[in-house]
Amino acid sequence: MQKLWTTFVKDARLSYQGIYFYMEVGMAIIFVLVMLFAVPENFDRTQTFYALVEIEALKGELSELIADGGDHQVKFFDSRPALEQALAANRSAAGIHVHLQGQRPVLELVLQGHESESMKALLRSTLEGAMASQLPGYVDRTTVVTLETAPARLSDRVNLLPIYLVINVAFMGLFIIAAYVFLDKEEGVIKAFAVAPVQVWHYLVSKIIIMALMAVVVSTIVVISLVGFRINYPLLILAILAFNVFGSVLGLLITSFFDSMTKAMGALFFSVFVLMFGGFSYFMPWFSPAWIRLLPSYPMIFSFRELLLEQGDVAYVLQNIGLFIALSILLFIYTNYRFKKTLTV
Amino acid sequence: MIKVQGLYHSYTHDHVYAVKNANFEIAPGEIFGFLGPSGAGKSTTQGVMTGLLPLQQGVVQVAGYDMRLRQRELFNKIGVSFEQSNVYSKLTALENLEFYGKLFDVPTLDPMQLLHLVGLDGVAKNKAGTFSKGMKHRLTFIRSMLNNPAIWFLDEPTTGLDPAISRKIIEIVKDKNAEGATVFLTTHNMQVADELCHRVAFIIDGEIKLIDSPRNLKLQFGEKIVVVDHRVDDTTKREQFSLVKPDDMARLQTLLQTGKIEMMHTKEATLEEIFIQVTGRGLL
Repeated sequence: MQKLWTTFVKDARLSYQGIYFYMEVGMAIIFVLVMLFAVPENFDRTQTFYALVEIEALKGELSELIADGGDHQVKFFDSRPALEQALAANRSAAGIHVHLQGQRPVLELVLQGHESESMKALLRSTLEGAMASQLPGYVDRTTVVTLETAPARLSDRVNLLPIYLVINVAFMGLFIIAAYVFLDKEEGVIKAFAVAPVQVWHYLVSKIIIMALMAVVVSTIVVISLVGFRINYPLLILAILAFNVFGSVLGLLITSFFDSMTKAMGALFFSVFVLMFGGFSYFMPWFSPAWIRLLPSYPMIFSFRELLLEQGDVAYVLQNIGLFIALSILLFIYTNYRFKKTLTV
Repeated sequence: MIKVQGLYHSYTHDHVYAVKNANFEIAPGEIFGFLGPSGAGKSTTQGVMTGLLPLQQGVVQVAGYDMRLRQRELFNKIGVSFEQSNVYSKLTALENLEFYGKLFDVPTLDPMQLLHLVGLDGVAKNKAGTFSKGMKHRLTFIRSMLNNPAIWFLDEPTTGLDPAISRKIIEIVKDKNAEGATVFLTTHNMQVADELCHRVAFIIDGEIKLIDSPRNLKLQFGEKIVVVDHRVDDTTKREQFSLVKPDDMARLQTLLQTGKIEMMHTKEATLEEIFIQVTGRGLL
């Protein structure tokens, strides 16, 4: 253990003097500043409707109908050109034109063109439903049931944090640890290390510890800055350690197949790219096929999400921590074997 | 101390060998020179002997350790100085030595004394990244001495150094050898090999062409020559005479009896000339 400590102290000194440590810290500072000062706590979801109502009696009624539908607001215009001009100026607004055709009121939905078919249908049926509810004898028999009775939600700002944590904890580590190894190869010091009475795993574990410490310190500071002290920090740190070690070991394994950063870049980039597919399911919950759920990023992102929720699923987080520890051990055994064969070849 | 038998090594894992059927043994306390031009297979052989390259075929034993097993304890007994300097540029010279010193399981030499030995004690606390090529080379050299190795592998130890420092390095190697260290010297510098080595091996295209002591090689291959400067019609003329060719010997005898000799000295063949004679190739 004394040799591991000696190697770790040396690596810590080199990291402290190297560019990657400051890159990581710099990125964290920028992320916190952007999140605190540029990203609102929650995004504005108010739907603005611009309306041209040629039947004066319906104006008040339409305002009420739209307001009843949720976070909506309505603004009236006097002419079709004015309506269209306003819509052109605000690309997120939707337009409604109510006019008479003979003796019957006709409702025309004026959209921007970028709305999806489902959004068009939703707006159309919302308005039709609202109109129908005004008919004599109408009774609303629709009930809404959700499988999750009290789905927990993160604020929009904190909702971005799991993605940042996975990028910073697992996948930046993958790149940086590879850079450290290739720097050693480039300077030739890896050869000097190889002819010293130390084990290859000393070399690997020392670098893994450096990466883990860097990830814990930087990530914890970011989470405290954005969330405060309301979450389970010991569990968060455990998760950061487990996921970071997995990323570092994966980075080392990829590194063992190449002799320079330039040659390894493609494989490293490809790995991160594929692994990040888990982020799609995070932002699009309806898109989570089995192959995405099998990628490491999926359980990592959702574990961080649970950790950030006030009533998060601790069992799910612990299960994933255990899974990644087991995976890391297996991967490390193979990586160590690979490095023994290829350290100086 | 070192035994190499039927060593083959291929970087491409086929029949294109960088080293072909190398066989030699090195006795304790011997300085063994491995001489050849760049790409001859010197560093590959040393790489296998120091465990930097895997042993693919043959037998290699170093200090009683079978290199096929690659036991880490071996590295407490050997020291390796590399041709390309390889020190941590962000650490000071002293930190570099202190770090490596702590990796050994045997007592190590005082880093400051080692730095003093090669004139780097004044810059002990400067980062190695600020050093000149020669300074880095000296640091790499003394790092290989930290564990007072019983077997010392030196790859081009004087390359790129100025004459004074080269002389210092040669004297250090001689001193360590006098203390009992076995030295495996890889070089293409024949003067250094001639001065230091008890035996040399000539390697070219991965094959060892010959192994013998420099003295025996000179006796076997070198032609004794006498160089004479003498006056002819108010000018000085320089002539060479072989001491083995009868014609030359007769001409020299005549000159000694009748000529006006200004200067006369014997000249031995150099290792380099012998190398060229044996291998048909130069050293660069």
